[in-house]
Amino acid sequence: MIDHGATERRILKTELRWAVFVGFLVLMILGAIVYAGISMHINPPSNREFIDPKTLHLSGEFTEANLGTSVDTDGQVTTRVIATQFSFVPQCVVVPANRTVTLRFASPDVIHGILVSGTNVNTMVVPGYVSQVHTEFTRTGDLLMPCHEYCGFGHSQMLATVRVVPPEQFRPGPDGKVTCG
Amino acid sequence: MNVGDPIEQSALDRRWRLWASAAVGGILVVGAVIGMLVLPNFQRENAALDLWTAICRAVGITEGSPAYRQPITTAQALPVSQVAWDPDVLDILANANPQQGAQIAAQVCVACHGENGVSSVLEYPSLAGQSSAAIYKQLSDYRSGARVHELMTPYAAQLTVPQLASVSVYYGRFAQQATGLGGRDLPGDDYIVKLAREGDSARALPACDSCHVPGAGGPIETPVLTGQNLQYLAAQLRAYKTGDRQNDVYRRMRDISEKLTEQEIDGLARYYRGVLF
Ligand SMILES: [Cu+2]
Repeated sequence: MIDHGATERRILKTELRWAVFVGFLVLMILGAIVYAGISMHINPPSNREFIDPKTLHLSGEFTEANLGTSVDTDGQVTTRVIATQFSFVPQCVVVPANRTVTLRFASPDVIHGILVSGTNVNTMVVPGYVSQVHTEFTRTGDLLMPCHEYCGFGHSQMLATVRVVPPEQFRPGPDGKVTCG
Repeated sequence: MNVGDPIEQSALDRRWRLWASAAVGGILVVGAVIGMLVLPNFQRENAALDLWTAICRAVGITEGSPAYRQPITTAQALPVSQVAWDPDVLDILANANPQQGAQIAAQVCVACHGENGVSSVLEYPSLAGQSSAAIYKQLSDYRSGARVHELMTPYAAQLTVPQLASVSVYYGRFAQQATGLGGRDLPGDDYIVKLAREGDSARALPACDSCHVPGAGGPIETPVLTGQNLQYLAAQLRAYKTGDRQNDVYRRMRDISEKLTEQEIDGLARYYRGVLF
């Protein structure tokens, strides 16, 4: 006769061991999320804003002429970028260091994603929505902004530059625009 | 009753089912507390929110709103393309009459674009091999003034939108025939072949083939380059580079052409030249 009790206990022991292991993994992941959320200011985008991806280029905020960094009359710095197959428009944006910057992204075609290396800027860019991130850049220099959501065959060549300049070198033109050129 | 009997098994498992449910439920509760109470509390300062609003937004009761209101912009898009691929336009293309298109083609287009859409005048593009969307986009841009050509602008301006669509659909029918045509006269330059097929990450140059081959999955209006006339291709890349041509939505081709050297433009045009006839 097979000792069912012994088999039962052995299975139970294995199951418990794995349950403890999985529980540990879950706690590690939750811990990582809490750590990133508190110390690195990583949080889900707070706004939900719709925009028609088919007519983005025709009029309004995301027309070609309106893209890039601009400073409002009240001093608010806003950078608007289009993520499209397979480039960012504009390919280089200027932002000031140590000042709140609002980054706004939209896509006319497929899902893209952006992250600015070495910062907490990281979001998906979903057609139909505006992805908005508020941040403050502390390190000056050229930061790499790659597309991090597979968007097609040209995905790995989809890169842009975020140029963080010291506040005194950040000089908007008469129209409030600041460009890399 | 035997060991392993479903009923006895069920009774035996009962305690474990309860424990497992409690564990899963507990993790859910802990996750909810972290995500909806703890993190909003630590992060609310960034968006200048009070605790209650931050919690309501995290839970999803209050809609998140832009912390800074966006000014209403009235920027206009001219002379960039006015074509938007909304259902109305796709309907016009789907319902276009290719017989009407064939008549217009026979009267107007064949003189330059050749019989069956294969142009022997090397400055003019062959239309065979292109999708109707690609042709419609360019005809509409000539009509709206987003793209300018001494001959095409007046022709396109004379035609109505349904007529443009019928011509596009007529030439779009040659698409499948043309893809099988000819072989490619590959130049020996490996570098150009690599640029066309793989792009160059260091210069943020996507491969031409990532959009310009049939079914690549790029924008719907992307033309196919295989078999296109060398002079035409090189002239278009240069026009994009200098900004003489600007009807590419979101600078897709202008940004690429600006990074290409003169030799690369010639090399790529040669690479895509097909032997069609
Ligand atoms: Cu992308």
